[in-house]
Amino acid sequence: MASELAPTEIVALARLIDELDYYQLLHLRRGASISEVKQAYHFSSRAFHPDANRHLSANLQAAVATIARRITEAYSVLRDPGRNKAYLQHLEAGHGVRMQLSEARAEAGRRAVEQKGRTPQGRQYYNLAEAELRREDFAAAARNLQTALTFEPDNEFFKAQLKEAREKIR
Amino acid sequence: MAEIGVGIDLGTSNSCVAVMRGGAIDVLPNAYGEHTTASVVGFKSDGAICVGNSAKANIIHDPKNTIYSSKRLIGRYYFSEEVKKAKAICAYEIAEAENHGIRIKVGDEFFSLPEIGAMILREMKSIAESRIGQPVHKAVITVPANFNDNQRQATKDAGRIAGLEVLRILNEPTAAALAYGFGKGLRQRVAVYDLGGGTFDVSVLEIGDDVFEVLATCGDTFLGGDDFDDRLIDLLADEFSSRHGINLRNDLYALEKLKVAAEGAKKALSIDPEVEIRIPDVIHGAEGQALSIERTLSSEEFSGLVQDLIQRSFKVCDEALQQAGVVARDLDGVILVGGPTRLPVIRKAVSEYFQQEPQADVDPDQVVAMGAAIHAASLVSEDHASYLLDVTPLSLRVGVAGGLAEPVIERNTPVPIEQMRTFTTFQDFQESVKIRVYQGESRQSEENELLGQFEFAGFKKARRGEVAIDISFEINADGIVNVVAQDRETGEQASTTITLSSGLSDLELESIVDEGRTARIEAIPTDDAGDALAPPPPDPRSEMVVIGAVSLVKADLGAGSGAAVEADALAPDEPGAAGARGAAEPDSVLEVLPDEEYSTVSAEPEELVVLAKEDEDADLSLPEETVPLEAVDAGSADLFESPGTDLSEDDPDEGGQKG
Repeated sequence: MASELAPTEIVALARLIDELDYYQLLHLRRGASISEVKQAYHFSSRAFHPDANRHLSANLQAAVATIARRITEAYSVLRDPGRNKAYLQHLEAGHGVRMQLSEARAEAGRRAVEQKGRTPQGRQYYNLAEAELRREDFAAAARNLQTALTFEPDNEFFKAQLKEAREKIR
Repeated sequence: MAEIGVGIDLGTSNSCVAVMRGGAIDVLPNAYGEHTTASVVGFKSDGAICVGNSAKANIIHDPKNTIYSSKRLIGRYYFSEEVKKAKAICAYEIAEAENHGIRIKVGDEFFSLPEIGAMILREMKSIAESRIGQPVHKAVITVPANFNDNQRQATKDAGRIAGLEVLRILNEPTAAALAYGFGKGLRQRVAVYDLGGGTFDVSVLEIGDDVFEVLATCGDTFLGGDDFDDRLIDLLADEFSSRHGINLRNDLYALEKLKVAAEGAKKALSIDPEVEIRIPDVIHGAEGQALSIERTLSSEEFSGLVQDLIQRSFKVCDEALQQAGVVARDLDGVILVGGPTRLPVIRKAVSEYFQQEPQADVDPDQVVAMGAAIHAASLVSEDHASYLLDVTPLSLRVGVAGGLAEPVIERNTPVPIEQMRTFTTFQDFQESVKIRVYQGESRQSEENELLGQFEFAGFKKARRGEVAIDISFEINADGIVNVVAQDRETGEQASTTITLSSGLSDLELESIVDEGRTARIEAIPTDDAGDALAPPPPDPRSEMVVIGAVSLVKADLGAGSGAAVEADALAPDEPGAAGARGAAEPDSVLEVLPDEEYSTVSAEPEELVVLAKEDEDADLSLPEETVPLEAVDAGSADLFESPGTDLSEDDPDEGGQKG
């Protein structure tokens, strides 16, 4: 079950590595589920784990190691739902294909806080809106989200929810 | 002849070697038929070295030349807590070496810890060679999951000194999981509860057929079977003190006797609900009369002594489960590793904690070596059969201004991995920066383990914050760290594979290998099959701990199991036990070594050599944030700052005045 990759493929991939985003590297579509991410990590590791490529020449082993390190990096970011979302935003904002693990982690933490609301009033109105969204009372939810946003005008999560609620009203 | 790779579990108390050939895994017995060999090195007066139980048998009458539990010291700094503790309780001499390293002084010779490790590895190698019947040059060596970079590097050095190519440094719990799940096509989540002689680790893994993914690992490097022994030693010593007014801890020979008896009693309690501890003539009283210890110890009493230690291990389990994102009832199996997990008190507590019975068909003393053997076989063949996806147990940090350590790679991140961070200068016209790399979980740099430091110069002189230094931090599949710094503008590079604490440079390592002084191990005369021609030396425990006669005829002691071997060794009527009695008699009473004072402030590792790196593939993606990097002279209160180092050229204040 050792790596069946041709040397040319390995070299080409190592060279391309800074142009592939984490989804492309793991052959995933954007928005893949966490279990798909894990499966892809296991699949790629079978081909690129340094242990499986000890028979290769030193140059090729170095290329494999570069790829393996990037695969673990991709997995470390994509395996967590919060970090995964943060990475998508990072990509869409054109910040490059790599994301620092510490940045992904911090961003995921910030998002988790933001989703609940950063202020007591923001949280209070968002909770009301959330209950109304569940009851599919979109008009009421939109009103409460609007109010929540007066306390946290830059809460991107609230804005997105509001936009969604308004689309549902139409 | 097919190439052979063996698996070696280099343990704190015992070591074990195994090999996988043709799909079958064999744990290779030493010349006396024992599947584990004591990790004890004895130096004889004629210069010969013996390893294993024959060395351990000398622990009472030659404690100064009998080196045990050396794994607790490997890869540590002289000023570390663990070394202080060892100095207080070990009879052998622990001396300070360059770079705050440690040497063991035996007679006129000084041995580094990797050399002591190499002696044990050589013995395991020779056991393997005599049992397999062909030379062995390659091995997978296991380490506690919580070993830091210094300890891993030192263990790898030990392998090299022993004449082994170390195929992989493997985490013990990961090896155990591999032995448990290999070739079974499992889809399971398991926890490995690994209580060794000196360390405790717990790992949570997901096994998906041929992939073994570690979800999280946590540990306590100050918790092990030895601590259970210490509780018993304290009990016996306190009782003796209140009865006779003599503190046995102040007498090296008496203390060694207590240690041997405590370990024996603990092991006996794995089999029997009650043991009798007898230490005849433990010390002489004020009038020269011989005083003894005689006492029975029940499982319940022992359980009371160690309950808090067991609860401490569950705190670590809580953390590991939380980091892995699972709860106990999600687990499909619990694997116990390490001799102490044979204790009924631990088995019971573990099954209550995890709400399930631990796996019964796993031998806690052999499973790690078996896993290492499977991985070794897989690495020497091209037909790779299993994939181990491990994590780094400790956060990797870099020292920044203000005595802080900035995390770069968080613990439980999968390896191999590389992260790049950009740093900048802290002072105007700063000419060099000192890059300090730490492992640990504290924001305060001095509370973490320093892996190494190197100085980086050669970037343009500019105002503070105008220089961009890219530092790449890499952790490979062995868990070993490599750091490269590069000036973004000039492309100048400096790098280090951090090897400080093993205390051995490549050059020193070469000369140690050339000297070959770890090779003078006395061979045990054996026949062609590798069996000893003479009976083994008596176990000193045999005269001290008597287990109930009932247990000796217990039918459920499976033949060949560790428990049965232990029971045999402990049998009071073992031939040779009587002969040992005279030999174990102390002939003098030594003063205990004073507990020396160590000041961590005086700690000054020597300068690290800055290696020029020619051909590193520099990654040029540029993170936006920059973090001010500590100036060379900034933070002189820092633990590892060398006040005497000549850095006047780099004095940032001087530079500032010029500007």
